[in-house]
Amino acid sequence: MANGTSNRSVVLNGVRKSYGALEVIHGIDLTIEEGDFVVFVGPSGCGKSTLLRMIAGLEEVTDGEIAIKGRDVTDLDPSERGIAMVFQSYALYPHMSVRDNLAFGLKMARTDKADIDKRVAQASAILKIDHLLDRRPGQLSGGQRQRVAIGRAIVRKPDVFLFDEPLSNLDAELRVSMRIEIARLHRELGNTMIYVTHDQTEAMTLADKIVVLRDGRIEQAGSPRDVYEDPENMFVAGFIGSPRMNFLEAEWLGEGTIRVGKATMRAAIDGTGLAPGDRLLLGIRPEHMTAAEPGPERITAEVEFSEYLGGTRYLYCQIEDGQSIVVEQREGRDWKAGDKLSFAVPEDRRRFFAKDGRRLR
Amino acid sequence: MRTRREIRARKALWDRIAYHGIGIGTAFFFLAPFAVMFFSSFRPNSDSGSPPIPPWPRSGMSFDAYRALDTFGAGIGQHMFNSLTVSIGTVLLTVAVSVLAGYGFSRYRFAFKNVLFVLIIATLMIPFQSILTPLFIILARLGLNNSLVGLMLVYVTLQLPFSVFMMRNAFDAVPKEIEEAARIDGARDLKLLVRVLLPLVMPGIATVSIFAFLNAWNEFFAALVLLSSNDNYTLPVLMTAVRAGRLGAINWGAVQAGVAVMVVPCLFVFLLLQRYYMRGLMAGAVK
Repeated sequence: MANGTSNRSVVLNGVRKSYGALEVIHGIDLTIEEGDFVVFVGPSGCGKSTLLRMIAGLEEVTDGEIAIKGRDVTDLDPSERGIAMVFQSYALYPHMSVRDNLAFGLKMARTDKADIDKRVAQASAILKIDHLLDRRPGQLSGGQRQRVAIGRAIVRKPDVFLFDEPLSNLDAELRVSMRIEIARLHRELGNTMIYVTHDQTEAMTLADKIVVLRDGRIEQAGSPRDVYEDPENMFVAGFIGSPRMNFLEAEWLGEGTIRVGKATMRAAIDGTGLAPGDRLLLGIRPEHMTAAEPGPERITAEVEFSEYLGGTRYLYCQIEDGQSIVVEQREGRDWKAGDKLSFAVPEDRRRFFAKDGRRLR
Repeated sequence: MRTRREIRARKALWDRIAYHGIGIGTAFFFLAPFAVMFFSSFRPNSDSGSPPIPPWPRSGMSFDAYRALDTFGAGIGQHMFNSLTVSIGTVLLTVAVSVLAGYGFSRYRFAFKNVLFVLIIATLMIPFQSILTPLFIILARLGLNNSLVGLMLVYVTLQLPFSVFMMRNAFDAVPKEIEEAARIDGARDLKLLVRVLLPLVMPGIATVSIFAFLNAWNEFFAALVLLSSNDNYTLPVLMTAVRAGRLGAINWGAVQAGVAVMVVPCLFVFLLLQRYYMRGLMAGAVK
């Protein structure tokens, strides 16, 4: 690929970060294509924010390099990287009007006055904050403040937008509408955006590419569909999806069959390295289990309690050998605690994992 | 029979009367000394020895007291100038040093940061009278004895521990993200400090300024010891000279006039900065 580098927006190459002897980011390699919306997800403390801040230039890179649009920016000042960042706490300048907040970066860059006015007007029109330009941040609501923070990023016309959990401080309803707003913005502006969140819904709905991080390592990077339907390991399978995927202890019987509880079922995996009697894990998402007539391939379970959510119900059950599972039930009769029922697990929905978390294919 | 509405209105009226009555009474006790002072400074010479109550001039207004005050030392204008020079210089230097030091202590990581900070704070416990002799010797060696600049440096030194502490707290209260946002916007170093952070720590600066000004303006002992020539006296030192009187006779009128002259700048500075000052004291109290 001779010209393949031209549409690469951000390239991380062996990026590491240590605080003293403690390494928190262990060599990240990642390529982000121009115009992609990339979401970093992971449990708290996984290093997703640190990684974003390293791209922004707010944290020093211990080792490795970061390139933005083919330019090595590893040791450049944040303002010279062609990035703009939106913070969780908005981080507006409280002593300046909204207009000055938007214009501050351009003033620092000694942009021509007429140009500043034009860009501020454009950005405020896109975000529908034109009527707020003369107010102070203290006089705005949370959603308006977040718009101003995004506006401050837009006026810089950056190559890459960085979002650090921008919606976490908003209430649930506003979060949904701002999420849609951000998606619209991405479509209109077409810039590369990198977005950090711990909210799966945000990740799944916004991302072109999800990067799942754990303990400073990339566990999997791929489209939302990839990470949801084809997780590379147990961590990703368990982390993406709510309620999380059920993992059931199973026994390898050889020749593509396993036993779970009392049920015996087919496992379409390559059994090399497995001996009959070996333990493995069967992963099934709650929505993929359906109530069915009892049979040899069926898992039978007893309902412990059920949650009614209107459109759907979650049944918390225990199977014969004592393992717990969660089942999502969209239709059919109501089940009460103590009821026994059987589940079918469609063969193409079964995911298998080794005891160490590796996916078995 | 009265309706509940009337009863409530009556109760509210009495509450208001009590509230304002107590407020006015308290204010009276705070304001009375100022009133007495200002009134009696306008008594003519013949009146100045009469009893303080009633305080107002009985035989007509006059500026005798102020004229008398002007005959002491090098004239009140000169001493006012001395005091203002020292006080304003102290404020400016204290603010400049404590803002930089407070910022450093708040934001940078360096070896022995906390030890150093505690050490600076600990100097608050040393009564400055006990180090006056060494200070005198040091200033003499530097050729700064009997100079206003020397006195100013001493005041700044004494003022810094509290000021650095205050400014560190002020900077600690500024969220780190604001600074980071400014760095992304391209504000660096001094620009970052002046354009973004300074307005946010204004309450701290106001507090530091008020304290520095009042302490420098009212300080007597160091000024008495370090200043030797009449022309360099600051107002507090001048006032003792006035009060000491001539041949044992004290010109009370001149004393009152001197006090009045001294009070005005303090009131002015406080009223100018009080809006920020109150916020400074409250900073960090809640959330």
